[in-house]
Formats: sequence, C-alpha cells, structure tokens
Amino acid sequence: MFKEMLKPFQVSRQVLKKKENEELTSIKVSEISNTTKNMSTTLEKLWKLMSEWKNQILIVFGLVIISSGLGLLGPLMVGLGIDHYIVNFDQLGLLWLLLGLALIYILHSFTVWYQNILMIKTSQNIIFKMRSVLFEKLHRLPLSFFDKRQHGELMSRLTNDIENVSSMLNSSMIQFFSSVLTLIGTVSIMIWLSPLLTLLTFSVIPILFIGIKIITKHTSKLYKKQQYNMGVLNGFTEETLSGQQIIKVFSQENRVISEFKEKNKAIYEVGFWAQTIAGFIPKLMNTLNFFNYAFIACIGGIFILYNIGGVTIGIILIFLEYSRQFIRPLNELANQWNSLLSAIAGAERVFEIIEEKEDRQDKQTYKEISSIQGEIIFSNVSFSYEDDNSEVLKHISFTAKPGETIAIVGPTGAGKTTIINLIACFYDVTEGDIWIDGYQLMDLDRNSLRKQMAFVLQEPFLFEGSIRDNIRYSRLTAKDEEVIEAAKLAGAHSFIEALSEGYDTKLKEDGSGISQGQKQLLAIARAMLVNSSILILDEATSSIDSITEITIQNSLKRLMQGRTSIVIAHRLNTVKNADNIVVLKEGYLVQQGSHEQLIEEDGFYRELYESQFSYC
Amino acid sequence: MKKLFSFIKTYRIHAVIALIFMFLELGLELLQPFLIAKMIDDGIQQQNIHHVLRWGIVLVTASILVFVSGIINTFYAAYTSQNVGYDIREKLYTHIQSFSLSVFKQFQSSSLVTRLTNDVTQLQQVVFMGLRIMMKAPFLIIGAIVMSFFVNAPLAMFFIITVPFVFFFLIWIYKKAAHSFSFVQGKLDQVNKIMRDNLRAIRLIKVYLRKHFEIERFQGASAKLQRQTVSAFRLTESSTPINMLLMNFVIMAFLWFGSIQIQTDKATVGEIVALINYTTRILSFLSIFSMLIMVLSRAKASAKRIFDVLDTTTENISTNHDTFKNLDYIIEGNIIIDHVSFQYASAQTLAVKNISFKVRSGETVAIIGETGSGKSTIFQLITRLYECSEGDIFIDGFNIKEIDVENLRNNIGFVLQESHLFTGTIKENIKWGNPLAKDKEILEATKSAQIHDNIIKFRDQYDTLIGQKGVNLSGGQKQRIAIARALVRKPKILLLDDSTSALDLQTEAKLLQSIKKMECTTLMSTQKISTAKNADHILVMEKGEIADQGNHDQLIHRSTLYQKIYESQNGKE
Repeated sequence: MFKEMLKPFQVSRQVLKKKENEELTSIKVSEISNTTKNMSTTLEKLWKLMSEWKNQILIVFGLVIISSGLGLLGPLMVGLGIDHYIVNFDQLGLLWLLLGLALIYILHSFTVWYQNILMIKTSQNIIFKMRSVLFEKLHRLPLSFFDKRQHGELMSRLTNDIENVSSMLNSSMIQFFSSVLTLIGTVSIMIWLSPLLTLLTFSVIPILFIGIKIITKHTSKLYKKQQYNMGVLNGFTEETLSGQQIIKVFSQENRVISEFKEKNKAIYEVGFWAQTIAGFIPKLMNTLNFFNYAFIACIGGIFILYNIGGVTIGIILIFLEYSRQFIRPLNELANQWNSLLSAIAGAERVFEIIEEKEDRQDKQTYKEISSIQGEIIFSNVSFSYEDDNSEVLKHISFTAKPGETIAIVGPTGAGKTTIINLIACFYDVTEGDIWIDGYQLMDLDRNSLRKQMAFVLQEPFLFEGSIRDNIRYSRLTAKDEEVIEAAKLAGAHSFIEALSEGYDTKLKEDGSGISQGQKQLLAIARAMLVNSSILILDEATSSIDSITEITIQNSLKRLMQGRTSIVIAHRLNTVKNADNIVVLKEGYLVQQGSHEQLIEEDGFYRELYESQFSYC
Repeated sequence: MKKLFSFIKTYRIHAVIALIFMFLELGLELLQPFLIAKMIDDGIQQQNIHHVLRWGIVLVTASILVFVSGIINTFYAAYTSQNVGYDIREKLYTHIQSFSLSVFKQFQSSSLVTRLTNDVTQLQQVVFMGLRIMMKAPFLIIGAIVMSFFVNAPLAMFFIITVPFVFFFLIWIYKKAAHSFSFVQGKLDQVNKIMRDNLRAIRLIKVYLRKHFEIERFQGASAKLQRQTVSAFRLTESSTPINMLLMNFVIMAFLWFGSIQIQTDKATVGEIVALINYTTRILSFLSIFSMLIMVLSRAKASAKRIFDVLDTTTENISTNHDTFKNLDYIIEGNIIIDHVSFQYASAQTLAVKNISFKVRSGETVAIIGETGSGKSTIFQLITRLYECSEGDIFIDGFNIKEIDVENLRNNIGFVLQESHLFTGTIKENIKWGNPLAKDKEILEATKSAQIHDNIIKFRDQYDTLIGQKGVNLSGGQKQRIAIARALVRKPKILLLDDSTSALDLQTEAKLLQSIKKMECTTLMSTQKISTAKNADHILVMEKGEIADQGNHDQLIHRSTLYQKIYESQNGKE
C-alpha cells in the first residue's frame, strides 16, 4: 500500500523540463490564445451596436453601482451594530439598525436580481441583432468571399464567437464591473476604518501575485502541450475510426491500440502535471485567505489591547468579511478577464465579416428584363481573381443561340466553373463582355436576370424538410400540382410516390434515405419548376449506377428542351448531343465545334475523349 | 455513474488519501471561526495578550496546515483523475477495436471520437472536482451547522430552519433550469443549422433569389432562441438573490437574539461573530453547490454516452484459436461460395440472396451491377467482416468459419471502395499492408499498381507526407496507393471492390495486366464494362442475386441488364 501511495511521485517529470518539444514550437500561438489585434476599436464597434439599448445598459450599470454599494454596506452595518449596540446593550438602537439592515438586504437582493434579468434581456436583444446583421450581411457578400474561406472556420465565427460574445454580455460584463466596484469600495472602507490594518491585509497580495505568476508560467506551457496532445489523439482516433474497415481487413487492431496507448500516455503525463499545478491556485487563494484571517484577528486583537489605531471588535469582524470580499473579486477578475478577452476576440472576428466588402448591388439604372430569348455571347472574355494576377480565363469567345446546348469540357482547373460563375453573375468579368439577348450583362438587373435562369449544380443540396418543400424552393409560389408536374418531368415522381409518405417525406440533414441519383433528380425537378430560358448545369462527377444514370440523362434532356443550356459536361452522352463543344485548357479556349468535328481533328479534345469519356 | 466508480476503484488508495486531506482542510476551515471566537472572548475581551498570541499562533499554524493538505490533496486528486481518464480512454478504444463491423456501424465514427475525447475529459474533471470540492460543499455546510451548535446551540437552530429550505429550493430550481436549458440548446442548434445550410447552399440561394426567405427563416429561429434564453435565465437568476436574502435574515436573527442572550450572559460577542462567519461561509458554498449540480448533470450525460459504448457487446468472432484449422498460408486460393445469404441488421431485405459461385485458383472474376446490388457485401463476407446469415464460404476447402480470422485476413489483399489512407508518408502507408515489407517489395508493389512513376515525381518521393497535413492526392492516385498497399502483402487472393473507378482506361488496363502476372485469385467488382470485359468470368448482380454469368461475349448477347449497362456506357440510346 505504501508503494501505491508513492506512485504519483513516479509520474514522469519530463514534461516539466524547460526544453520545448520540437513539434510544439510549430503550433501557432493564435490557435491557442485568443489574441486581440485591436481591442479599443472592437469595443467601439460593439458599443455602436449596443447603443440602441443605451438606456437599458445605463440602468443596469446604475443598478450595479447600487447593488455593489449595498453589498458593502451590509457587513459594515453588522460590524457597527456589534460595536455600538450589542457591546453596549442598546436594544432599541439595535432594533433600528436591524430595520435599516433589513431594508438594505431586501434592496440588495432586488437590485441584484433586477440588474441580472435586465442585462440578460438586453444582451439577448443585442445578440439577436448581431446575428441578424451578420446573417443579412452574408447574403450581400460576393461568392468569392465564400470560395476563399473554409466552411469550418466561418461556421465557428458564426456560432462559437457569437456565443462567446453572448455569454460575456449575459454575465461577465456585470460581474467584471461589480468586481471592480466591490474591490474599490472594499479597499476604501478598509482604509477609512483602519489604514494600519488595511496595510497589513494587503501584505498578502504580493505573495498572491508571485504565486500565481509562478504557477501560470508553468501551466500555460503545460496547457499548450495538453491541447497539442489532445489534438494529436483526436486526429488519430478520427482517422483510425473512419478507417476501421481497413484496420480490420489488414488485422492491425493491436497495432493501432498500442499507438493509441502511446498517445494516451502522453496526454496522461502532461494532464497530470497541468492539473496538479493549476490546482494549486485555488489552494493558494484559500490558504492566503485563511492566513489573512489569522493575521487580521491576531494583529487586530493586539491593536485593540494596546489601543492602536482605534481598532474595535466590530472593525475586526468587518475586516474579516472584507478581506474575503476583496480576494474573491481579485479571483473573479482574473477569471472574467480571460472570458472578456476571448469574447472581444470573438466580436472582432464577427465584425471582420460584417465589414467585408459587399457584392456589387443592383442600381436603379440597371435594366430589368422580364422575358428573354436566351442568346448568350461571350466576347473576348478574360477573368482573374482579385487577389491573384494570373488569369483563369483568357480571351474566351463563343456564342450560344437560343435553345442551343453548349458543352464545356476540359481538365480540372481549366476554367469551366468560372464560365458558369460569370453567367450567373457570381463574379464580374475582368475584361471583355458577355451579352445576353443583346444586352450587356453588366447593365442588367441581376435579380431579374437570375429569374430567367434555372440551375442544376454539382452537389444537389437538399434542406431538411419535406420533398415537396425542397422542390418548391426554386419557386415558393408554385402550387402542389405544379410541383408534381415538375417531378414527373424530371422522372422523380415514381420514386417519390414509392416512399411511404410520398411528397411529404421528410428529408434528413445528411440526406440519408434517398440515393445520390435520386437527389439529383430532385435538383432537376427543382430546376423544372422555374420558367427559365437559360439553364446552367454542372454535371455531377460522382459515379452513379448506370440505370439511374439513364433516367437522369433522360430528364436532363427534357429540361434542356427549349432552353439555352450551358453545361459543364462529364458524361459522354451530353457531349455527343451538344450543339457546340467548348474545349478549355489552362484558361484558353483551344477548340470548339460538334463532337464529330472535334473527334476528326487531332487535338486536345481527342486526348480528353479517350481518357475521360470513353468507357469501352 | 455507478460504473464510474469501478474505474476509480483501481486508484482507491490515492482517492482515499486525497479525500483524507480534503477533510483535513475542511476541518481546519470549519475550526477557524471557532478559533477566532475563542481569541475574541478569551483574549481581547479578557484583555489577555497571551491568549491572543496563543490563538494567533494556532491560527497561523492551521493556515500552513491548510496549505500543505491542499497541495497533497491536489496531487493525489490529479493522479486519480488522470489515471481514471487514461483507463477509460484505453478501455473504450480497445473495446471499439474489438467490435465487429456490424456493431461498429451502430455508432457514427464522429460521435465515437467525441466520446473518446470530450466525454472522457468531462468525467475526468468530475473525478478531480469530486476529490476536491464536490464533497467539500455539502460537508462544509453540514460541518458549519454542527460547529455553530457547539458555539451556541439555541441560535444555531436558525440554520436548521433555513438551510434545508435553501437546499431544496436550489435543487428544484436547477431541475427546472436543466430542462429549459436543454430547450435553449435545441433552439441554438436550430439557428446554427440554418447558418450552416446557408453557407453550404449559398450558390443555390443566390440563383433562386431566396435571400429574404432565408433571412425570415433565420430571424424566426433566432427570435425563438432569444425568448427561450431569457426565460431560462429568469429562473436561475432568481435563485442567488433569494438565497442571499434568506441567509442575510439569518444574520439579522443572530444579531437580535444574540444581543438578548448577551444581556443574560448566555452568549458572548465572539460567539455571534463566529456564527455570522459561518453564515457567510454557507452562503458562499451554496453558490458552489449550484455549479456542482450543473457539472454533475453534464457528467451524467457523458457517462451514459461512454458506457453505452462499453456496454455494447460484440459477438466474438475468433475465440479459441486451438479449435481452428491453422491455415498459415492459403496455398491455392480457390474460393467456393455456397448458397450464401446475408441481411444487414438495419435492413429489411436480404443484401445477397442465396448466391453460389466458384473461383478457381489464379482466375479473375468480375462482378458487375448497380450500387446496392450486393457486390461489396460478398467481399465483406469473404473477409468475415460480416458473417453469412445462411450458407458457407470455403477457401481451399476449409470453411472460413473454421479459420482464425486474423489468419484469414492476413492471406487476403482487400482493396476497399473508399481508399482510406492514413496520415504519414507514402511508404508508411504502403507498409500498412505488410509492416515487414522490404524496400524492394514495396517497389514491386507500387510498380504493379502503376503508381511508382507518380511517386518519384514528388519532391520527397516515398517519404512524401499524405493525409491531413500532407499533399493532396487525386482520387486515382489514392486508389493506386491503396492497391499497392494490398499487393505488398503478396496475397493469394486479391479482392478489388470497385477500386479502379477513378483510373483512366490505359492505366487501368496496365494495372490489371500486372495483377494477372502475380497469379493470384482476383475478385473484383465494378460498374464499368471496360473493367469487367477482360475478366475470365463475369457475374451480373441485380438486387442481391446473380442475374447472369459468363464471359463478355456471352453476356452481351444474353443478358438484358448487361446490354443496358453496356449501351449506357457506350453512348448509345
């Protein structure tokens, strides 16, 4: 048993050594600590957002001042009561004091309650506004904004960062403010009562600060290591669990288990020291509190006996109470400070989005169009992304007559998607012009133009909700019969009917329940519902089994009928049926013509055809 | 939660030490107001400097003792909680590895990862807190009441009235609050979901002009969240002021009744000071108490999620090694599938129905069919990732149920549909197939898999890092590395589950040719006629059954399904 007791002392102390882990130094500091770049401007912006509720916030602050004051007054009156009435046997005086005290206590509880409730109401209003502003902003941002950023990172701004701000507004702000006030109040009353005792009480502060400094110096390093180790373990489990089948097939279970143990052990060793050393802080606080008590009581007692500085029993009692009241806000301030910083950093990241440059807005002078033929002309169009000088499209010219199908082919990165992005006005051309029915695209009202277009994008995005609502998404006013008609045309009707709840079948978020091919049919049905003269189609690359493929091909054919179609083609059928094939390579248009023409030429198309399209 | 104790049991000595020192700390803290009362009454009131000093020294000594016991408590508490965390993680991971695939599929792998990390950390935290303050709060409250009875029993009666009331009030509030905060969480999830949807579907929303529709939807959800949050907080925020008020009234009672008692010499000033002191302590621990209730309820949820996994049992596939035929090497590689049927646990219909076929040693057999026709299932049955519901599979005449699973799998090279590669270098990834492979063997495998030429074009060649931190490989490159990983095992049986789908025609042809040279029995599933065409034998699968079989020339004339697939891929209508 004695051996067992000694075990904690045998935990490797390697992690405490100064030498930094090589891998560790490569962790970016920004990932771990919430560094704020410009605190004051962020606070300014936050205040601007909050100014709508200026009055409520001022009331809250007023209440905090009152409640902090009342909180300090309570112990003071108790001490005075003991000194003046109890020691002197003055029951009547005590009665009056108690009545006053009761009033103070009730008022105190009430103000604390009301300030918190009011603050939460106000902060939730602010957060609601912040969310709305942010959300509306998202819809005014150009597509390039979304293409440049990782979804995960954006999501974390939209959720975690706002949550941080929310919890700061909910409680941290009040606590921070009242901690500061209490601290100031406590110290001033203490000085007023007995400067000498105050000085003695403060003598523990340096010990506290030095102690905390030594501890945090160790722990911040250890926490970084711990976070790093946790990340390693996280990545490892994620990888091995998603590759579980491979592990089984190659009988590598024991190998991954032993690797896991190694990583687990690293977490354990660092975790032990981090927890132990960080755990010293509350213990240190507690001890100093205790020590302070002993100190105040003992020295105070001596002062009373030798009549130094007018110290009384009541004063000692007040000091005992206040000495705790001033160490507690110190502790809280340290805690609140961290959450305040991380909230401000969060707010800063939210404001970064709110201040992003917006998409070109439609002007009144832009021409609105109500119906078009669907003629599309690319004339010497070049395009490069703003922050990148290299051109993605170089001097592209082609014409799509109303009702024609244009297939765009080329290897990945040739600029196929960019052409679609330009027609849909997701991006503006850098050079050259795009003409739609003889109008310059730049002069057209974009919303009215998009109303003339139907889209089938590569990933058929479905929302959580019924199949009916998902199809109707492209035209919210569509009647049920129209939805069914569109589904029939898209060839989706039969499989929808076969589902237990038909059109009311709820789709889950992950899209489980229906196959990839069926999702594409729904996307086609969605496009069918729009009375458009232009169709933009990005064919899916994922392999769908041949039978479903045939259905999709057929419904696409119906969709293309009577519409000018611009198609990024991955299927041989599509290419063969196109009126014109535009062959792209590294941003250049290298060939165009029909399939038969192009296959005759000994060019890039034939090369593509052989490697990408031919199955047999 | 009970099960959590079984993990702590291993470290009971350390846990007990931590608890002992916690109680020591607690005792000293409870003694403190009592000591101060003594000092006031014996020392200050009696004008006795010696008593003041004596009690002062006792108090200072006590504070040093508090510090020492606090440190020791932390040390042992951290040791226990970290060990418990380590043990749970290890046991969980080992347990998960022992799952058969069908059991494994019951959990989402992302949820397993959170259970292994976040949930374990939660429990670890609870153990740590448990050994430090969790037990302290109730004991301190009880202790403070007991001590105040020692100080002055009649006055201490006030605690008996108020504290239980406050206690039950807190529990009632937090029970209600937990309920309404779970609603808040639900509403928050809803808001975040719409955010995520909008990010992912931004193109769709833009082209269909659904901006205002989405903004309305979002604001609706956001307003619900706002209302729910406010109403949840309204409840919890009222608990502190009410408790504060109650305890403050107790202080007032002490002052009033204490002063009456002092006049009749039944109480002393020091006693009243001590009682007030105990009251403020109880008040501060009541607020810790409410935090504890929250932490505990969260830990309870974590514990449930962890033990859900640990309590899931898996039918043990290979129990007793002795009873199995010890097949060290598959010599021939004959496979016989004999009236095999299989149904996934979650499915309502059979995935494969009464299938029989033979593959002779060295033969190449292709299985063609739509998604969901049962191709992959056959491969998973041969490698015993799943057990046949009916029928038997024989390899070299042995029923695979009688072969040790590890041995069986060691003799098969299986390339999965999804080419999952691990973080690490290319070489390490290929060595996954055979940790003992020499460089020469790796080279042979990569050359056969037609990936060697690509690898040497990378700057670090075979030491190129792949995976999350490394280079991005194309789908075709990944597939070929996965094939090399299987080939390096020099298997007698090679299973390719649609694993050449991303390769272009010439590369695929070259790859299949070099596999043929390796003279292993090859079973491959595909959706492409071009892949199937050159196999010795082709099985056409439809809805879990073999619709037809033969070679390409036979099937093209005979099987309508085969013809249909052929036509769709050949561009004819």
